[in-house]
Amino acid sequence: MNEVWIIAEQRAGRLMNVSLELLNKANELASALKVKSGVVLLGDGIRQMADELASYADRVYLVDSPELRFYQGLSYTDLVTGLIAEHEPDIVLTGSTPIGQDLAPRIAARLRTGLTAHCADLYIKYDGDKPLLAQVVPGWGGNMLLEITCPRKRPQMATVSPGMMPRCESREHKGEVISIQPEIASDARIETLEMFEESTPEKPLEDAEIVVAGGWGLASSGFSLVRELAEVLGGAVAGTRPAVDSGWLEKQKMVGQSGITIRPRLFISVGASGAPQFTIGFTGAKVVMAIDQNRNAPIFETADIGLVGDAGKIVPCLITALKNSTLCR
Amino acid sequence: MPVNIIVCVKQVPHPEHFSRITFDPARQAIRREGIPTVINPLDLNAVEEALRLRDRFTGKVTVISMGPPGARAVLEGALAMGADAAVLLSDKSFAGADSLATAYCLSCGIKKIPFDLVLCGKESIDSGTGQVAPQVAEFLGIPHATSVSEITVGGEDTLILKQVLERGYMKVRVRMPAVLAVTGEINQPRLPTIMTIMGAKEKPLEVWGASRIEADPDRLGLSGSPTQVTGMRQREIKRRREVLRGGPEEIAREAVERLQELLKA
Amino acid sequence: MEFGLSREQEMLRDMVRAFAERELAPNALSLDEKGQFPAAEWKKAAELGLVGIINAKEYGGSDMGHLARMIMIEEISKIYPSLGFCFQTGQIGMYGLQASGSEEQKKKYLPALCRGEDTIAWAVTEATGGSDPAGIQTTAELRGDEWVINGRKVFITGGESAKIVAFLAKTGETTGLFIVEKGTPGFSVPRREESLGLRSVPVSELAFTDCKIPKENLLGQEGRGLSVALAGIAAVGRPGAAGVSLGIAGGAYEAALKFAKERQLYGKPIARLQAVQFALVNMKVELEAARWLCYNSAWLLDQGRKPNDIGAEICMAKLHATDIANRICIKAIEVMGGYGLMPEYHVTRLLRDAVEILPAAGTQDIMRVIIGGGITR
Repeated sequence: MNEVWIIAEQRAGRLMNVSLELLNKANELASALKVKSGVVLLGDGIRQMADELASYADRVYLVDSPELRFYQGLSYTDLVTGLIAEHEPDIVLTGSTPIGQDLAPRIAARLRTGLTAHCADLYIKYDGDKPLLAQVVPGWGGNMLLEITCPRKRPQMATVSPGMMPRCESREHKGEVISIQPEIASDARIETLEMFEESTPEKPLEDAEIVVAGGWGLASSGFSLVRELAEVLGGAVAGTRPAVDSGWLEKQKMVGQSGITIRPRLFISVGASGAPQFTIGFTGAKVVMAIDQNRNAPIFETADIGLVGDAGKIVPCLITALKNSTLCR
Repeated sequence: MPVNIIVCVKQVPHPEHFSRITFDPARQAIRREGIPTVINPLDLNAVEEALRLRDRFTGKVTVISMGPPGARAVLEGALAMGADAAVLLSDKSFAGADSLATAYCLSCGIKKIPFDLVLCGKESIDSGTGQVAPQVAEFLGIPHATSVSEITVGGEDTLILKQVLERGYMKVRVRMPAVLAVTGEINQPRLPTIMTIMGAKEKPLEVWGASRIEADPDRLGLSGSPTQVTGMRQREIKRRREVLRGGPEEIAREAVERLQELLKA
Repeated sequence: MEFGLSREQEMLRDMVRAFAERELAPNALSLDEKGQFPAAEWKKAAELGLVGIINAKEYGGSDMGHLARMIMIEEISKIYPSLGFCFQTGQIGMYGLQASGSEEQKKKYLPALCRGEDTIAWAVTEATGGSDPAGIQTTAELRGDEWVINGRKVFITGGESAKIVAFLAKTGETTGLFIVEKGTPGFSVPRREESLGLRSVPVSELAFTDCKIPKENLLGQEGRGLSVALAGIAAVGRPGAAGVSLGIAGGAYEAALKFAKERQLYGKPIARLQAVQFALVNMKVELEAARWLCYNSAWLLDQGRKPNDIGAEICMAKLHATDIANRICIKAIEVMGGYGLMPEYHVTRLLRDAVEILPAAGTQDIMRVIIGGGITR
């Protein structure tokens, strides 16, 4: 049927943001290929979610059953591969979340097809007149970008990192919800018993995708600016050595030579002049933004975007501007 | 009850030398000659977990790797940590394998060794797909779980796992045999001691080729790989150094727009 | 001639490097400031088999040899030379006991030493001479079943924390090497010196005032004390000092190289500026040369050569490694500019350690005396 599908992910009745990001990309690819887009949704008590998703996609394949309340590796694999075998979509996208990474590879193995993980970008490229999904991934610690294709096997499968792509905005579709009620044989060999989700995550700094770090320059405006900015971005808070020495935050949050080295997607430095012992801690960040009073501060050499001025004035304006953007979490 | 465990390990380039790796478009392959190698860091956690289970319940720990002849170095390192035996799957026909072909090859090797549990590191630092464990499990026809941060024994042949989520975890019950991929949180890998280093050379390390593992040649190596690399380029982390000047509201708005663009790419 | 390390020696190097990065690097600065023997780290090293590395398995050692020991000390000293120095000094007594001790003495002391539970200091130097040990004045008088000891020792490394001290004393016209245990009445550690470097291994004075020790505490034969004492220093103390210097030099070089590759000035890493690059090249050449001198001397010991026969090789290793360590530390600081003086880059600490090791196991000039004696024979 040549559709472009996504496998949506929901937890306890809450749709994960990555699903809307995938759906946006799926619609784009479907439009380029002149085919329909589809969403596979598994869970329990999710009829309403399916109806909402139908405004973002052409088809929603829904399997709603108490057995599927929690992610169950083997049952989910059986159901999704069954749907794929029946409808033969051309492309299937999943989020590279912990669950997505648990599910997609098994599906790909069962179907003996190719799967590319953590894609940073996806687009259609042509081999003669044959359209192929080009899958771009960072490799070797982010130093290289590879383009991968799956020329012969179908579906072409890819997982996409959350936050990599913009979310679906327009709700113009009038998709149909196809509700399936298959025999769900729960496999006694493996069972998810419970799911615990913490409301206040305290992830290690190295895992944070967005980090806001404050330095000595915040002495007058206050370190709280860093926390507020981090909050609106859903990021982690860090600081320079002088900031730690001044008691504004704990030693474990120190970035740099004698602290931690991090590679977040976005690193924002506020009020730090850019001494090499600090800047060495974030050279691997994808995008760096710096705010400092002093236009000659060395921090601007290590940043992609630099804002010169008083952090006390700039940060509140940034927060306002961010709240109206897709970067707000 | 004794638990026989197989641990899949991989030899990867040393992360400090990643910037020296280049792509050869003619051979469609990555050039990594002369670059120092190490064992994939998360595989050390997998080996450690296997050793802890064996130390508690008795049994045998076998480490297995698919790689060129030089990959025996990581197997020797695992033997020096305390593993009992090692197998290197090495054959020209294995070369150029993507995750699917690699998982198939490993599963053929694993089938030749009696086991209750297969452990892997969650992902490798070079390709980082994290796909091998679920795919090996599929080819072995047994359950799998990834992102495992804790393993406790639930019963006769049952394990209770903590499977990590972004902010929390799932509690999972699994019956062996199974394949588990572990995270770095699960343990602190032990260092080899002089005693275990000297003892390593007494332990068996075998090299197996394609015929020994009775693998279907069409599913191995380059020909068994549905995905292929069609291009590779260096990603220059050259900072843009765009300095915005103006009133705070103005530059804040502009900065947010630029950020959205840059984060998309 | 085989210039490669065995696979086991390579695995040892990897293991010690991982140990140093995991256990020593986080605390190196604070341990150094505290100025106390790093007992916890010593114990961890013992669990890995490192403390008993030149002792036989039957006494609890791991018996991997002198070259393995050199590699271990080098790797540890790149990050925390004080601990390297603990090996330099602590293993002299362990070697001496095994080479010259009675079966009872070996069984009594070596197992706990190999486990890292106790340490042993080697006390030869006195105010009247370290470079001229024949001039010692500490006396040991046999009265019945006991030796009565009177005298003072100075600059004894690890004397404060050691459970056991092996010391040189005059017995009439000749000398003997004796063992005293901490807590023995009449034995005290009255004073500790403030060190510039290697601060975790304080150097102390030892005092004997009518200190009575059992007759069995003579180590080796009476009259052979000086030669046993000097053999220990030559075979273990001196290569140990060479290894520490090698590690210090390596640590400083690696810090300077890393800094030069990352620090950007004039639009490029300073490692591309010829003056800086040539400074790094000179460091690298000196380091490699010193390394082969050191490894060769250790390898010869593993081949069974007597320390006295290869005295010159051992002295050359210590002389050269210590000289270049001092030079490289200063040059590293120069390459790093103002940042080289900051504690978080560790090079000033390494420089202090490099200076402190100058007189260890014999001054640099004594090394020249021994080598000169050898070449002009």
